[in-house]
Amino acid sequence: MTASGSAPLLRMSGITKHYGGVRALENVHFEATRGTIHALLGENGAGKSTLIKVLSGVVQPDAGTIELDGSPVQFANPTEANDAGIACIFQELSLLPDLTVADNICITRPPRRFGLIDFRAQRRIAEEALARVGGEGIHPSATVRELPLSRRQMVEIAKALARNPKILILDEATSALTAADVEKVFVMLHKLREEGMAIIYISHRMHEIAELADVCTVYRNGRKVETFDAGTRSDNAIVEMMIGREYESVFPPKAAKNDDVAPVLKVRDFSWQGELNGIDLDIRPGEIVGLGGLDGQGQRQLLLGLFGTLIGTTGTVEIAGNPVKLSSPKRAKSDAIGMALIPEDRKAEGLMLPMTVRENLSFAAVEKVSRGGVVDLKAEEAAIDEMVELLKIKADGIDGPVASLSGGNQQKVVIGKWLMTKPRIILLNDPTRGIDVGTKQEIYQLLQRLAAEGAAILFYSTDYDELIGCCDRVLVMYSGAVVRTLSGQQLTETNLVSAALNLPAGTDQAALAAQAREAAT
Amino acid sequence: MVDVVLRQFDRATLIAFGCIVLLLLIGALAEPAFLSPKYLIQQIHVASFLGVVATGVMLIILLGHIDLSIPWTIAVGGMMATGAAGILGPELGVTFAIPFGILCGAAIGAINGLGVAYLRAPAMIFTLGMNAVAQGLMVYHTGGFAPQNRATEFMRELAVGHLIPGVPNPVLIWIVLGAVTMFMLNRTTLGRQIYAIGNQERAVFLSGVDTRRVILICFVISGACAAATGVLLAGWANRSYQAMGDPYLLPTIAAIILGGTNVLGGRGKYIGTVAGVILITILQSMLSVVQPQRYFAQLGLDMPADVFRQIVFGLVIVAMLLLYGRQKLVR
Repeated sequence: MTASGSAPLLRMSGITKHYGGVRALENVHFEATRGTIHALLGENGAGKSTLIKVLSGVVQPDAGTIELDGSPVQFANPTEANDAGIACIFQELSLLPDLTVADNICITRPPRRFGLIDFRAQRRIAEEALARVGGEGIHPSATVRELPLSRRQMVEIAKALARNPKILILDEATSALTAADVEKVFVMLHKLREEGMAIIYISHRMHEIAELADVCTVYRNGRKVETFDAGTRSDNAIVEMMIGREYESVFPPKAAKNDDVAPVLKVRDFSWQGELNGIDLDIRPGEIVGLGGLDGQGQRQLLLGLFGTLIGTTGTVEIAGNPVKLSSPKRAKSDAIGMALIPEDRKAEGLMLPMTVRENLSFAAVEKVSRGGVVDLKAEEAAIDEMVELLKIKADGIDGPVASLSGGNQQKVVIGKWLMTKPRIILLNDPTRGIDVGTKQEIYQLLQRLAAEGAAILFYSTDYDELIGCCDRVLVMYSGAVVRTLSGQQLTETNLVSAALNLPAGTDQAALAAQAREAAT
Repeated sequence: MVDVVLRQFDRATLIAFGCIVLLLLIGALAEPAFLSPKYLIQQIHVASFLGVVATGVMLIILLGHIDLSIPWTIAVGGMMATGAAGILGPELGVTFAIPFGILCGAAIGAINGLGVAYLRAPAMIFTLGMNAVAQGLMVYHTGGFAPQNRATEFMRELAVGHLIPGVPNPVLIWIVLGAVTMFMLNRTTLGRQIYAIGNQERAVFLSGVDTRRVILICFVISGACAAATGVLLAGWANRSYQAMGDPYLLPTIAAIILGGTNVLGGRGKYIGTVAGVILITILQSMLSVVQPQRYFAQLGLDMPADVFRQIVFGLVIVAMLLLYGRQKLVR
């Protein structure tokens, strides 16, 4: 598939960028060819994002040249890069939530008539762009705020395509998408490749890269490690290149469980406003229970409801045998319950971004190091240092704002903040989204260790590999109810997917029978 | 310990203190008496009234809200303290005049807090409404019967006396209140929660903090501080009167913002507010002593002194805010 014969559309050579004393990129070369999908791989902070920012005009390189179609170019700002045919889709959504889908898609160049925006033309452009990404179901006059996260991401992609770019960059653009939408995006990307577009793709999901990429380039610490054709290296070899050290298994072994212990969290008939319908749940100390299913089937509401943030939940909750009323996060956090929730959106729900790493880390547990409302600074500092050590948070910036840390380290701060409260029930809402492979692995190890120390863990993830690799049991949710529980040998990707789609159990057997027939012939 | 003290002096605070020195030096060129200890002590004395009310409002601004009810909360504090004898009876009224005045202010703050935190009303409109309500109640209070508006002997002593020779009592009160506030902001869980709510309220709520309670507490403190200023002002003038708090709204907010507190909440040091309060007070004093409108009158620009003072005061505040530059964006 690699069009190695034709001249590259884009050539970046000797790109160097320093932020203060930190080297983000060092003499990096990069080429992109028409009609290929080029995957960029590397941990957070490896330099991928900086390279993309240089290419899209967001930052200026200290040294190096960019050639587009053989002629040197310089981008002073993102608009210039856009005009040159470079469109970028970032992980963090850039849509204006209170405008309509069509307004957002045409925001940079709205079609005009007599100096006013031509809404009819704008709507047509939006419809075309949405059709191109397979988002026909999205209404162009819908307000973006009303759309779920995965729909918004589709709009974002449509917006980039509406500018007819020559080079399309996707930076973690699929991390918020459901599996079905990812499929649609892949079909679209394959089509765009046929049309001759050069596509640069960044993702932390290895199987996506295996499915999509023609060429891969691995970065580490601001340097290029290697460029190679897709499919010529094993996943393990690629991960080793990324982290620069021997890579055993992504998932640490699961500890043996003791089924005789009484459950610490016992939930019966838990319901909320039609979005949660009669959920039963038992988690024993030391158990990691996963929540699976398609995105938006009530998993988030279940976690938020258990943590006491939803008003009007019904059903009973018992903590270690005692019935409790979960009325607020403050109550859920109290010693009597000892619950912690690692929220989905770390920037809005987990952290106070302008405050220091220290202040963020000790925030949830600050009562534990205070007497009569006065913080014992020494005890606080000791607890923080212990947590920084435990989670291996890059310690050079713990007195700086948490906003300046990489995504992976920010997530560690969110987790650390809750571990400081010494919880016995830990709820996690998609904790590894948009995080590099090294940090993910650290989080998996941490979960196993916490479970071994007796914590009960309820873990929602959109990544099926993660559920299979980490959890003892997975509850698959559909339309606000638990439709199936998978554990042990049953815990496979096929079963997870079919349960997520709520196919009747018979379908499984039919599929198995079909497989058996195939094997026989 | 040294670095804890140094950390209190951020850029905005240094600029504010720089402006104070600059103002005094410029003033001294026109009138050398500006650098005399007598004048300076007198200015700090006047500043302490503004300092007390700014202490409470600063907490509200740190939360990311605003308290626009302070003008008439000040009036309520003053008028209820002086009128306490009429309401509670001569015996109780004189003894409890001051607590009664402050309690009335705290009650207004509590209603503000309930409205903003529990009813989720926007603070800007809710506190403005409460300001009008307080005004109405005070007009009713004075209109219905002849109230007692004389300050008690103790109020007078509190506002103009010297417990420590050379240090006016209100300054002493401001120092104590300021020290307690600094300790609260830096060392207590409540202080942490105030800053955190100003930065990201959702994250604070999800961290298991009763954010509504924190907001309510801060509004109560703000109301009590404003009323305390009213009590001091009534003692200083030896009487209370309607609209006694009206000149305090802009100076209070301006002093806090000039002191480096982020108007959207989450960031700001108390020492900056101290600098802002002194700066605003000296600026007002100089504009009335130097009377620059005389120079402009010679240029043909003739306007009444107080009009001129208002215009210059407003312009100087706007100019100083530009001097601070825009806040650095944090992702």
